Amino acid sequence: MSAREEILGKIYAQSEINHPGDFQGASEDFDFKAALEVVGARVLTAEALEIEFPGRRRYEKILDGLSLAEVEVLEIDGEFGVAENGAIWLTEEALPHRVAPFICQHLVINVSKIVPNMHAAYAELNKPNSSFGLFLAGPSKTADIEQSLVIGAHGARSLTVVIRA
Amino acid sequence: MLSHAEASEKFIADAERTDWHDETLWFVREKRDKVSKVLPEWEALREHASQIKDHTLANLGSYLQAFEEKAQANGIKVHWAADAAEHNAIVHQIIADQGSKILVKSKSMLTEECHLNDYLANKGIEVVDTDLGERIVQFRNEAPSHIVLPAIHLKKEDVGETFHQHLGTPKGNKDPQFLTEAARQHLRGHFLASEVAITGVNFAIAETGEFVVCTNEGNADMGAHLAKVHIACMGIEKIIPKREDLAVFLRLLARSATGQLITTYSSHFHKPREGQEMHIVLLDNGRTRQLADPKYKNSLKCIRCAACFNTCPVYRRSGGHSYHQPVAGPIGSILAPNIDKKANADLPFASTLCGSCSNVCPVKINIHEQLWFWRQDLMAAGLAPVSKTIGMKLMAFTLAHPAIYRIGGVFIRRFSGLLNTSLNPWYKQREMPEAPKESFQEWYKKR
Amino acid sequence: MRVALFVPCYIDQFYPQVAVASLELLEKLGCEVIVPIDQTCCGQPMANSGFASSTEGCDANFTNNFEGFDYIVGPSGSCVLHLKEHHPSEKIRNSVYEICEFLTDILKISSLQAKFPHRVGLHQSCHGQRGLRLSSMSERNEKPFSKLEDLLGLVEGVEILKPERADECCGFGGTFCVTEEAVSVKMGVDRIKEHDANAVEYIVGADTSCLMHMEGILRRQGSKVQVKHIVEILNHA
Repeated sequence: MSAREEILGKIYAQSEINHPGDFQGASEDFDFKAALEVVGARVLTAEALEIEFPGRRRYEKILDGLSLAEVEVLEIDGEFGVAENGAIWLTEEALPHRVAPFICQHLVINVSKIVPNMHAAYAELNKPNSSFGLFLAGPSKTADIEQSLVIGAHGARSLTVVIRA
Repeated sequence: MLSHAEASEKFIADAERTDWHDETLWFVREKRDKVSKVLPEWEALREHASQIKDHTLANLGSYLQAFEEKAQANGIKVHWAADAAEHNAIVHQIIADQGSKILVKSKSMLTEECHLNDYLANKGIEVVDTDLGERIVQFRNEAPSHIVLPAIHLKKEDVGETFHQHLGTPKGNKDPQFLTEAARQHLRGHFLASEVAITGVNFAIAETGEFVVCTNEGNADMGAHLAKVHIACMGIEKIIPKREDLAVFLRLLARSATGQLITTYSSHFHKPREGQEMHIVLLDNGRTRQLADPKYKNSLKCIRCAACFNTCPVYRRSGGHSYHQPVAGPIGSILAPNIDKKANADLPFASTLCGSCSNVCPVKINIHEQLWFWRQDLMAAGLAPVSKTIGMKLMAFTLAHPAIYRIGGVFIRRFSGLLNTSLNPWYKQREMPEAPKESFQEWYKKR
Repeated sequence: MRVALFVPCYIDQFYPQVAVASLELLEKLGCEVIVPIDQTCCGQPMANSGFASSTEGCDANFTNNFEGFDYIVGPSGSCVLHLKEHHPSEKIRNSVYEICEFLTDILKISSLQAKFPHRVGLHQSCHGQRGLRLSSMSERNEKPFSKLEDLLGLVEGVEILKPERADECCGFGGTFCVTEEAVSVKMGVDRIKEHDANAVEYIVGADTSCLMHMEGILRRQGSKVQVKHIVEILNHA
């Protein structure tokens, strides 16, 4: 007998318990900029961005993620931001490569739409799925040494967010 | 192997480190308190998450099949493993087919449970753990002591010395920023070179056949997106019905774990990258047994946030290694006996049953009640020392017979001084209560 | 009101003053208090050690002594919680009350003739707090409440001081206190340290077992701090 049959055979149908449905009554009063600050991202105006990162680049779609290993500052577009936690939804379709937001040294994301919370975020995502997508909140970080927060573990060392109208 | 009590005694012998460990994890618990208390719907979210998991576990078979079907349609290869040995063999075969001798792996408690690293090492394949904390303990030939903070038992001096030995950092340098940078450079080399990446799975969605991996460092993504082959290993209990459910779980997970609003990266793997092979290994390894027992079924709701570790006054003062299991703390103590009763018979007793764990748990697992149930099952299985069994039976007999109880009480009060000996564990660091001349009952009869 | 006083075994033998205070206090408040004289123990020591299957005799004895009462009141949150959760008789489970909850929820007292002009450190015993919900807990996002503080607030002169970690376990834990001696004592020492930081004269709680554990440590330390069960203060003239 295969493991699949063995496992499924051991799972007995249990008394019916209904799915509770979508969560109701979630808070909506959140400040996206404040959340970005909490997760360690910086918010810049479009003008300030020009001064700060004149050498930033956008990249075309590529198949070889390794070719992005030397990218210093990458600029990408996020689909929307989530006010409750500063996360930004990114999809493979809008990225040069899946690894792009991780492998670059510094990341700049443009956001023009903000939803209040994660429930609203998934309602927004209730469209055809991307082959890969992620919520990204702030720069890569770790606190694995004595719980001291260090920014720039493996992914981008900094995240700059530009909120465009 | 030392029992939890013996290992704890050794841990506590270093008072300064114990206090540091306790205070550091308490600080994490306080961060969790802060972010949970600003959400008015916090308790409702916990309840909702618990209900989603109840529903999922009640329909696990059909959700697993739905997930399999969708995942396969997405181009992901799905494997089923009944136990750890089968899991390891499947993973090894995938790596062997690729012909790799070295690979990167992000945090996966399941692969710890299966002792995958040792298994692959015996086959001549090196696993490079890429979570910083896991890489540190891997260098030291230790197990993680905490499922979210694997190296929390170590001080920066220890890490500095380990990196000096393994990465050639300057001796004496213990700056976390510097050491993290050294690990970044070291692991980047592995990410760029590795053809196979293993990751864990936080959630798998039956409706879409996708799975979600959460990290703060970005190590899971760095590995998976650069490798030709991505193997994701998950327990069958990681399934949730639909995407919208993720909103509830992602709101709870990081807030409960570290007091963050969300992990830095919550990656949704839906289809393999163009040209990439993606595998999912679904593991049972005792989970169906746990599912079939109404007393313990709830433990399968766990989302591995480790809030119960951070709040546990025993864990904070005994360290993760005292639990001698990959998953330590209160949740580990109710999971481990399901795998091996005899080897883990001490763990359900490593608790005061204070109930803090059950009340921080984001999916409302009745952890302390399950600890109590395990105590009953372990003793019924004859896993108590003979002296304990005799003592308990004697006590039960005495307390069932009021006349004998009264005589026993007189005896104990009169001779309690004899217990002031080093053989009495109470007396080692505590005075015995002073015995009154008369018991309450004796006083009451004269009233 | 007719009340049966449940006196846990170790209180009967080692802390009779707690039972005396409970009896006197309930009588002062107008209850007719009966002490079933053949009572022994709730069975918790065996059950929490994994021998719940051995408590039949103990359970039967408890039933014989207490079945005839609508209000069974005991000065121990832990023993009362055990009875509420595990006693085989539904009548017993539904009739047993921890003394603080009995005073606030059944008698609903709003004044007391009691005076205790001292600095009192409040110890929240886990089973009373989280199990019986005698007060809100730091783990949950809930409105703060405390039956113990409500009662102490009725006593003249009491100054209530809370430790920094207001509801961390003291480490008693039944047989845990000897089987896990090192952790148990460390937990107790840490609790006491926080009470010491508040310069308390007394550590007060609703569970004598926790207090016994901390008292053992305090006395070994040579500390002047004393422990008292809350009823001793509520009954203090």
